[in-house]
Amino acid sequence: MAARQFSSILLIFSLIASFASGDQPSSGQGPDFAREVLPILSDKCFACHGPDAKEKELKLTSYEEATQLRNGIRAIDPGRPDHSELLFRITDEDDPMPPTKAKPLSPAEADVLKRWIESGATYARHWAFEKPQRHPDMNRIDDFIAAQLDTQNLAFAPEADLRTLARRSALVLTGLPPNPNEVAELVSSEDPRAFEAFVDRLLASERYGEHRARYWLDAVRYGDTAGLARDVRRGLYPYRDWVIQALNNNLPMDQFITWQLAGDLLPNPSLEQTVATGYVRLNPTTNEGGTIPAEFQAKNNFDRVENLGTTFLGLSMLCARCHTHKYDPVTHQEYFELLAFFNNTAEAPKDGYKYDHPPVAKAPRDIADWKRYKQLKAFEIASFNSELACELDEIESRMTVTLVAKEGKPRDTFLLERGDYLSPVGPVLKPGVIAAVGPMPEGAPRNRLGLSQWLTSPEHPLVARVLVNRLWQQVFGVGIVRTPEEFGLQGEHPTHPHLLDFLALEFVASGWDQKAMLKRIVLSRTFRQSSYHRTDFDDPENRLFARGPSFRLDAEVIRDATLQASGLLDPTMGGEGVKPYQPAGLWKSIGHRKSNTRIYVPDKGTKVYRRSVYVYWKRASPHPMMTIFDAPNRESACVGRSRTDTPLQSLALLNETMRVESARKLAESIILEEGIDESRIHRLFELQVSRHASPTELAACLSLLEQMRSEYARDEELATALLETGHAPRNEQLDPGEVAAWTQVVTTVMASDPAILLY
Amino acid sequence: MEADPQRDHELMLTRRQLFGRTRLGLGTAALAGLSGSSAFANDGVGLHHRARAKRVIYLFMAGGPSQHDMWDYKPKMADLAGKELPSHIRDGQRVTGMSKGKLMVMPSEYSFSKFENHDRGVWVSELLPHTAKVVKDLCVIHSVHTEAINHDPGITYIQTGSQIPGRPSLGAWLSYGLGSENSDLPGYVVMHSMGSQQGTSLFGRLWGSGFMPSNHQGVVLRGDGDAVLYLKNPKGVLRHHRRAQLDALASINQAHHRAFGDPRVLARLEQHEMAYRMQAAVPELMDLSQESESTWKLYGEKAKVPGSFEACCLNARRLAERGVRNIQVFHRGWDQHSNLRKELPAQCEDIDRGCMALITDLKQRGMLEDTLVVWGGEFGRTAYSQGKFGSENYGRDHHPRCFTMWMAGGGVKRGITYGQTDDVGYNIADEDGNPLLPPQHRRPDKHHLTPGAVHIHDLNATILHLLGIDHTRLTYRYQGRDFRLTDVHGHVVRDLLI
Repeated sequence: MAARQFSSILLIFSLIASFASGDQPSSGQGPDFAREVLPILSDKCFACHGPDAKEKELKLTSYEEATQLRNGIRAIDPGRPDHSELLFRITDEDDPMPPTKAKPLSPAEADVLKRWIESGATYARHWAFEKPQRHPDMNRIDDFIAAQLDTQNLAFAPEADLRTLARRSALVLTGLPPNPNEVAELVSSEDPRAFEAFVDRLLASERYGEHRARYWLDAVRYGDTAGLARDVRRGLYPYRDWVIQALNNNLPMDQFITWQLAGDLLPNPSLEQTVATGYVRLNPTTNEGGTIPAEFQAKNNFDRVENLGTTFLGLSMLCARCHTHKYDPVTHQEYFELLAFFNNTAEAPKDGYKYDHPPVAKAPRDIADWKRYKQLKAFEIASFNSELACELDEIESRMTVTLVAKEGKPRDTFLLERGDYLSPVGPVLKPGVIAAVGPMPEGAPRNRLGLSQWLTSPEHPLVARVLVNRLWQQVFGVGIVRTPEEFGLQGEHPTHPHLLDFLALEFVASGWDQKAMLKRIVLSRTFRQSSYHRTDFDDPENRLFARGPSFRLDAEVIRDATLQASGLLDPTMGGEGVKPYQPAGLWKSIGHRKSNTRIYVPDKGTKVYRRSVYVYWKRASPHPMMTIFDAPNRESACVGRSRTDTPLQSLALLNETMRVESARKLAESIILEEGIDESRIHRLFELQVSRHASPTELAACLSLLEQMRSEYARDEELATALLETGHAPRNEQLDPGEVAAWTQVVTTVMASDPAILLY
Repeated sequence: MEADPQRDHELMLTRRQLFGRTRLGLGTAALAGLSGSSAFANDGVGLHHRARAKRVIYLFMAGGPSQHDMWDYKPKMADLAGKELPSHIRDGQRVTGMSKGKLMVMPSEYSFSKFENHDRGVWVSELLPHTAKVVKDLCVIHSVHTEAINHDPGITYIQTGSQIPGRPSLGAWLSYGLGSENSDLPGYVVMHSMGSQQGTSLFGRLWGSGFMPSNHQGVVLRGDGDAVLYLKNPKGVLRHHRRAQLDALASINQAHHRAFGDPRVLARLEQHEMAYRMQAAVPELMDLSQESESTWKLYGEKAKVPGSFEACCLNARRLAERGVRNIQVFHRGWDQHSNLRKELPAQCEDIDRGCMALITDLKQRGMLEDTLVVWGGEFGRTAYSQGKFGSENYGRDHHPRCFTMWMAGGGVKRGITYGQTDDVGYNIADEDGNPLLPPQHRRPDKHHLTPGAVHIHDLNATILHLLGIDHTRLTYRYQGRDFRLTDVHGHVVRDLLI
C-alpha cells in the first residue's frame, strides 16, 4: 500500500515535469510511462499478459498485478532490477520473453524497461483515458508548436503568400478554389484583418457544409445502397442533406452527436432530430435468401458498436467482440453492454430489400425544400395564412422517405462467446459503457440518449480529442495523433499532446463549435506557414508541423474544382444521389440480376455537374472517379483516407469525359475573355491555382498550345471529335481547331500538381 | 529511366511519408513491393521463404458450385434418394432460411467417370468433359469448409478473411506482399467473366484494399469499353498529342517540385509515365491477333468473345506471361437453388473448356510449374434438394460444411485428391468414410488443423505459403492491431505441397 501511494506521488511529479517542459517528454530520472513504457508493454507483452490474460497468468497491466509476489518471485520489483523476473526473462537466451515466435524486444526497448523498473516502475493510465489537462501558460496553437520547435532550435517557416493562403484555406474550408475576384480583393486590401474576413466568408458559405460533410459521411459509412447481397437502393439521403445543413448551421457538435444517436428519444423530436437518427441505420444490411435473422441482428449490431468505437471513441472495438481486448481496457462484457444500447431498435434484422425498410420518416426531398419547410414551420407557430399553408402542404406532399431509428420491442442482450450469435452465455446484460473511459453521467437514462450524454459529457476523455484531431487532420493532412482510428494503447502518441488537450478543452468550452475551431486553426501561424519542404532539418512526415500543409486533394475536391473552374458546376443542394457520366457496364458486371442497382442510368441535364457529395454512392461499386482517388466504399468506417499515386489516376485525370468536357468549356471561356495567349494562360491559372502562371508554366503551356494548334489546324475532324466529348454544347462561333488546342492545354493544367495538390 | 541517387533518396523519403513506419508491419521487402519493383527476386526467394509459385491465377466461382454434380461422387446416395437426410448426418447443422420442411436426399443425376491421376484416380461428372482431361495436373480437394452459409458473408469471408466488410482482399494482401514485376501493367488484375447466369452479386470489396492504401486494390480488366478504366485518350487526342501533354505536365510539375520540394511530386510523375506506357501495354495485351491457331483450337472460338470465361483465361495466361503475378477471374451464377437441371450444365459449359485450356496452355509453355491456379467458390451445395424432391425445377441450398475446390501448379501436388466426405457428401469424413462428428471426433473447425480438412483460412494460408509468404507474418497495422488475411487462424496444409 505504501509503495502504491509513493508511486502515485511519483506519477504526479512526472506529470508536472512534463508540463514544465512544454510538449516534450519529461527527462526526469525514469522513462515516461505513458509515452515510452506502455507502448512496449502493449505491443510486446500484452498479447499474453494484457487485460485478457488467463486467470493464472501474470498480468502486466497494473502496478499491483505486475509487482505481486508469485511463487516467491516478482515480475517487477520496483527499484530493484536484479530482483525483477521480467528483466531476467527478457535477456534469457534459453527461455526468452517474448517467446521466439513473437515479436522480439529490441535492445533499446529492453533498456527502457530496465530504467523504468530502476526508477520505481510507476504506472500511469494511458494518456487517452485521462481527462485532457489545461496547460498552465500556453493558450494558442502556435505556442505549442513553437515550444517543440524551440527544443530543436527551429523557427516557424515563413508565412506563405496571400494567394497561396487564400487557395489553401478555401480548399480546406469549402473544398473549392476561391473566386479569383475575392482573391484579388484580399491581396489588394490594406486591412490587417482582411484574411480573417476572407476566412469568415468561407465559413459562412454554403459550400462549407457540402465539403465538410464528406468527412463525416466517410466515418459513418453513408451510402445510397444497402451494401450487402443485392446492394439495393435504400432511402437515406435526407440524412446526408441534414448533415450538410447541420454543419452549415454550425449545430454544436454535442447536439450533432446526440441527434444522430438518439434524436428520437428527445422530448417531442423535431423532424431534423428524427432524420438525424439515420446514423443508427447506416450499417450495411441484407435480405439475402436464407439469411438467418438472429445472425444479422448480431452482425448489424457489431457493425454499429464498431462504428461507434471508430467514429467517436477512436477505439477499435473489434477485439472485444470475441474476447476481452488484448491491449485496451475494454472487456468482452462491455462490448455487449454497449451493443445493448442498439439491440432494441425497431427495424427487422433483414431489410426486405426495401427502399423504405421501416421505421421511416418523411423528409423534404432536397435542401431548398428543407430550408423553406423550416421557415414555414416557424411561421406556423406565429401566424399562418392559407397561401403559406398551401405551400407547406406542397412541400409535405413531395417529401421522401428516410430510414430512422426508433425503439422497438425490447430484446435480451447476452454476451456472445467468441462473438458467435449461436453461443449466448451468462445473464441478460443491461446497456452500459466502458468503465475505464468513465461512467455514464449521473441520472443518464440507460438508452441511446444516455449513451449520447456519456459521449458528450465534458468528463469524457476521448470524444472531443478524437473530433478535434480529425479536424486538424482534415486541415493539415495528418493528425496530432497520426492514427485517427486508434487512440488506444496501440495507437500512436500525439506528436503534441498538450496541444491536443488544449484544442479538446477549447472545443468543449466553446460549446462544441466546429466553425470556431476551424477558424482558430486556419488563422494560426502554424497553418499559414509556407509548405516548402525545408532543407534545414529532416522531417518528411511533418511531425513538428514546421511547414504548412501539403497533400493531394481528395477525389471530390479534384472533381468539384474542375467543374467550378469550367463554369459547369450546378450549385443545387441536396436531393437524391446524382449519376454523372460513368463508363458503361460497371454495375452490370457485378450486379445481381434482380438488383435494382444493376443498370446505371446517367442523369441528364445539369444534374451531372452537381457537387460530388451528391454523387450516388453504390457501396458495391462507387463512382470510379471517387475510388480511383482513394475514396472508401463506405461499407465500414473511414476516418482517414489513404493518399496514393497510381497510373490509373493519371488516366482518369486526362481522359475522363467530364474532365475533358470541363476543359473544353473552360477553353471556350478563356478564349472569349482574353485576347492574347499569355493572358489566357494566366486566367486559366488564376481560376485553378489562384495566381498567374510562372514563366516555366507559361512556356510549357505556350509550347503545347503551338503543337496542338498545328495538329488541329491540319485535321479539323480531329478537333471536332474532341469537342464532342460530354453533353455540353460547344460554342459554334469559335474555331474548332483553336478550341481543341486550348482544350488540350486546359486538360493538362487541370491535371497538373499545382491544380490537384493543396500546398 | 537512368539511376539517379538523389532521386532515389527522395523517392525513399516519399515512401517513408506514405507508409510511416508505424503503419507498416513489414520490412523492406514489402516496401520494395510498394514501389512497384519486386520483392520476389529472380532467384525465387519469396518474402519469407522460397516461393514455389511466382504468380497466382484464381478462378473464383461465385455462388457456390454444386460439388455433388461436378466433383464429389457419392454412389451410395442412391439408396437414400427421396428419403429424409438422417439427423445424425445433419448433426444440428444450421441451415439457411431457405431449407424448409423435410430435407430429402437428392443424388446427382449426372453420370460420373473415374479418371486416372497420379493417385487413386478421381471421379469427374459428365458436366466437365474438358476439365476431366487435365486431372493429372489437378489437386482436387473435397474437404474445403467454411462457417458462412449465405453468399455475402461467405464470399466476403473467403476473399477477405472476415464475414463483415472492411478488410483487404486476398489480392490486396498479395499486392502488398508481392509488389509487381511489370512496370507497364498493374500488379493485381481482376476480370469478371460474363456467363449464362447473373444471379449472384459481386462487390468492390472482393478485390478492394479495405483499410490498406488503395493502390493495392485490383485493377479491373474489362471485357467491354476500355479494358482499363479511362485507358483510351478522348476522341481527337492522338498518342503523340498525349506525349506532348505529358511533357508539358512534367515541366509544370518539376517546377512545382523545385518550388515546394515535395518528393511525392516526382513519384507522381512516374505514375504519369507508367500510365502512358500502360496505354500501349494494355492494347498489346488485349490484342489476340498474334495468338497461334493452336491457341484457338485449345481455348475454342468463344475465347474470341471479350468477357467470356475462355477469353478471361486466355488473358490470364497473357498477363502471367507479362509478369503480372496476381490475377483473378470472377465467374458468377453458381447459385442453383432451383432450376439446377437447366442452369448447372450451362454454368459448367461456361467454364469447363477455359479451365482445361488454361492448365494445358500454361503447361505447354512451361509456366504451370511456377503458376498456382486455384478454382472454387465460397461454399458448396446441399446433398438434399431444395424445392420438391426430384421436381423439374429442383435445386440445392448452400452448404458450408464441405465443398470441392481444386488447385494446380505452383508447388501443389499433381494429380491427387485430398480429403473425403461421408456417403452423402454432407460431412468431412476420415479415410474410411466415417463422418468427423462428435462424440467420436472433433468436427473440423477454423481453430484447428484437421488432417484431411481444409478450412478457408487454411486454404488462404496455403496460397500465401506457396507464394513465399508466411501468413502469420504478413501483417498490416490498423487500429492498433496487426491484421492478417487469416485473422488468428489458418494453417498451411502441407499435405497438398510437393
